[in-house]
Amino acid sequence: MLQKPRSRGRSSGHAERVRDSSQGGDARAPRDCVAEETPSTSRGSGGSQGARSSSPQGARGSLAAPAVGPRTQKQLELKVSELVQFLLIKDQKKIPIKRADILKHVVGDYKDIFPDLLKLAAERLQYVFGYKLVELEPKSNTYILINTLEPVEEDAEVRGDQGTPTTGLLMIVLGLIFMRGNTIKETEVWDFLRRLGVFPTKKHLVFGDPKKLITEDFVRQRYLEYRRIPHTDPVDYEFQWGPRTNLETSKMKVLKFVAKVHNQDPKDWPAQYCEALADEENRARPQPSGPAPSS
Amino acid sequence: MQGSARRTGVMTDVHRRFLQLLMTHGVLEEWDVKRMQKHCYKVHDRNATVDKLEDFINNINSVLESLYIEIKRGVTEDDGRPIYALVNLATTSVSKMATDFAENELDLFRKALELIIDSESGFASSTNILNLVDQLKGKKMKKKEAELVLQKFVQNKWLIEKEGEFTLHGRAILEMEQYIRETYPDSVKICNICHSLLIQGQSCETCGIRMHLPCVAKYFRSNAEPRCPHCNDYWPHEIPEVFDPEKEREPGISKSNRKSLRSRRH
Repeated sequence: MLQKPRSRGRSSGHAERVRDSSQGGDARAPRDCVAEETPSTSRGSGGSQGARSSSPQGARGSLAAPAVGPRTQKQLELKVSELVQFLLIKDQKKIPIKRADILKHVVGDYKDIFPDLLKLAAERLQYVFGYKLVELEPKSNTYILINTLEPVEEDAEVRGDQGTPTTGLLMIVLGLIFMRGNTIKETEVWDFLRRLGVFPTKKHLVFGDPKKLITEDFVRQRYLEYRRIPHTDPVDYEFQWGPRTNLETSKMKVLKFVAKVHNQDPKDWPAQYCEALADEENRARPQPSGPAPSS
Repeated sequence: MQGSARRTGVMTDVHRRFLQLLMTHGVLEEWDVKRMQKHCYKVHDRNATVDKLEDFINNINSVLESLYIEIKRGVTEDDGRPIYALVNLATTSVSKMATDFAENELDLFRKALELIIDSESGFASSTNILNLVDQLKGKKMKKKEAELVLQKFVQNKWLIEKEGEFTLHGRAILEMEQYIRETYPDSVKICNICHSLLIQGQSCETCGIRMHLPCVAKYFRSNAEPRCPHCNDYWPHEIPEVFDPEKEREPGISKSNRKSLRSRRH
């Protein structure tokens, strides 16, 4: 939806628009009345959906004392809705979402209840869409969405082949990194990829610009870490797994992929297999959950 | 919206996968949606009977209600194909477009939108849109860049391009109808039959009322002497064919008289 053209001198700030609607500036008066009535009845039964029934109800109760003027139930729901949609769209680009951006573009003067808003948004994202909102690294104040639904091959078909072929290249690089001991020099990566017909300087039919993909796009999306190795001449860089990789996949999954490619068993690489097992055990241990924003 | 007697539905992984896939596409034709629904059942719940699409979607919509979004069904203006998209119900600043495009790009869209709404045919020429490039808010945009941005809008299914002219994609109409009616109450056109927003259509040359092409097709079906529903004058335009879901299993452009309809005066 576009903002209504206004003659104000200020640039079309989102926070400004939000203030308009929060002051009851909704032009749709009849809908407002209906919507105000339905929450009490349909929300009642809505509260019984799934195991998360208590949190929305409980959280709503605790949102009753805001710092900036009284906010209605509807305003809060609208705010959560905005936040959910913002996170969904931003995540489509696979770039981690900064807390500062969320505050600036969506939360605005609801800043005081930001942690609650985020918790509600996370709950909705999980229940309705099947996405888990996680912080990329503890205290990083950046977030990504993890799909709790397993990707299925036929999805690409149904998507009309809009799927990402670049994932294949990423998996190869992730496999390489893991098998070589969790870190690998860039020169070694290209040595390997050359054998597959992928070159840093040549345009690739499927991957386009492989150098840009690996050293820029995957890094920006936080799948890879790319660091300069000091005192190297000519300059060389090293690759490691990025924080998103650890959240979206695991050493065991990557090892299984490598094994499949070689038509072998993961156990054929005992060192990596042990490492992957240890990683699985680590993951099974209960972690501190939730996207709890560090304040 | 729904009355208070509605019970909120339950989401399962079948519904979630469906919703995710619909979001990826932005907008889908009905037969694609049905195929996608079957696919989701196959993945998560092989043995279950596939719900009737309408019930399936109503179930999801009852859950989406608290988020002020819904899966909306519409019909393409040129050949009456049913389409589905996830749309915003609340008029707020955060939307799919606002987050995807820069300020000057959004303003370009706004300018194109205004030209489209003001036009008689529902189309705005590329030249006319590009001539407004100097008036855009935000970073300065050259005409060359604006051409690319317009193509981006087409790729993302906000605009349709035909022979150098642009009109709104069915997705944009679904998503923005309310916004358009509120923002341009004086220039907006409404269909006399279905009372929804009208961008492309036919109009009576005597009294000026307008109708969507699919609405014309349905209203005058098997009528040898079509007459204006308002002033009863002879209806001067060629009556298009109704989209028949049974006859056409294939997606894409129906063999309908697309070109001839476009070039007609309204």
